[in-house]
Amino acid sequence: MEQDAQLVQQCLQGDGSAWEELVRRHTRRIFNICYRFTGNRTESEDLSQDVFLRVYRTLGSYRSAHGGFATWMTSVTRNLLIDHYRRTKRDRITDSLDDKMPVVENKESAGRRPDEQALLGELSGQVQSALTRLSPELREAVILRDLQQLEYSEIQQVLAVPEGTVKSRINRGRIELARILQHMGVRPS
Amino acid sequence: MSWTCEQTEARLSDYLDGLLQPPEQSAFNLHVNTCERCAPLVAGVAHALGGLYALEQVEAPAQLENAILTATLGAPSWRNLRRWLKSLQSPRFVYSMASVAATIVVILTASGFSFTKPKLADLHPATIYHHADRQAHLYYARSAKFVSDLRVVYEIQTRLNENEQNPATREQTVPQDSPGKQPGRTDKTNPSTPKQQNRADEIGRNLRVLAAQFPALSGSIGERRMP
Repeated sequence: MEQDAQLVQQCLQGDGSAWEELVRRHTRRIFNICYRFTGNRTESEDLSQDVFLRVYRTLGSYRSAHGGFATWMTSVTRNLLIDHYRRTKRDRITDSLDDKMPVVENKESAGRRPDEQALLGELSGQVQSALTRLSPELREAVILRDLQQLEYSEIQQVLAVPEGTVKSRINRGRIELARILQHMGVRPS
Repeated sequence: MSWTCEQTEARLSDYLDGLLQPPEQSAFNLHVNTCERCAPLVAGVAHALGGLYALEQVEAPAQLENAILTATLGAPSWRNLRRWLKSLQSPRFVYSMASVAATIVVILTASGFSFTKPKLADLHPATIYHHADRQAHLYYARSAKFVSDLRVVYEIQTRLNENEQNPATREQTVPQDSPGKQPGRTDKTNPSTPKQQNRADEIGRNLRVLAAQFPALSGSIGERRMP
């Protein structure tokens, strides 16, 4: 991702088109992290915007020698998500595991039979719902590892915790997710 | 050796990620195959992981990019303006504009436009034509005079060179009345007009007077003239 570092340099020199390119390259990824963390499109949209706003304001503090731009940006995203989680904690309704129906995603995937599509769509909705019930520290670890496919070292950098803690959180997050799904009545066939 | 439930749970992700060594793998399998608690746990986590991997990337809302750019760079019209202003900073554009400006200044100067006291009337086509015509004639006259002066100087230099080389004939080379009643001819090869001849005579006389009064100057002139 040397190109990102180059674009950042151009941005710092006042090149607006370089910033536009950075936004184009990372919007989808940041939106996905936010969406998987919150499970809400509107909130994710606002959070993504906040992420880019903060990145834009603090672009000068990015050092390419300390890691890739994507990792740095993920770190900013994670911090904002945790802030958001703490801020909305009081307002959030702490539903029991059973009284909230899982949200089924409405998306089309080419090449799948309609029945497979329906099953996958249902499972995706259930997994997303279960994901939002994980504690934030386990949720972020699982999202970064299993959805964003980040390496342990990158997750360690984003979360600013030792690699052992990263591995432990991912493991605990997966086990917890399986238990939540089991409580929701989703069992392996 | 079989593992305990705690060991199995702690290494569950390593098992699923294929990071266990062969002996660890054997111990893990041995425990899971015989433990009623861990077998469904492993199956459940594998299923959850499958569900996670099946989650597809969701498309960001179409307006999100624009909203981000508006929040950071300003409204689209302002962004376009900034982009346009940025393009003005390219060296190519600056050079082009500089050359256009220089051309305009030259044309206005030639047309007699006064930058200190600009008047709208000076920009009228008829006025510009009149001024341009006048300037052209002026420059032509100055050029003609300059060429004439050069010729005079050349005449003088030639005469002085000849005097240096043939001191005995110095008096003979002093132009007298044009030989052969041909006004303007100072020798048999270089014709010139009577007016130029007179100026050459005058300058030559002055130079000779100067050379007589200041021998050092005469020597330096001579040195410079020597090829």
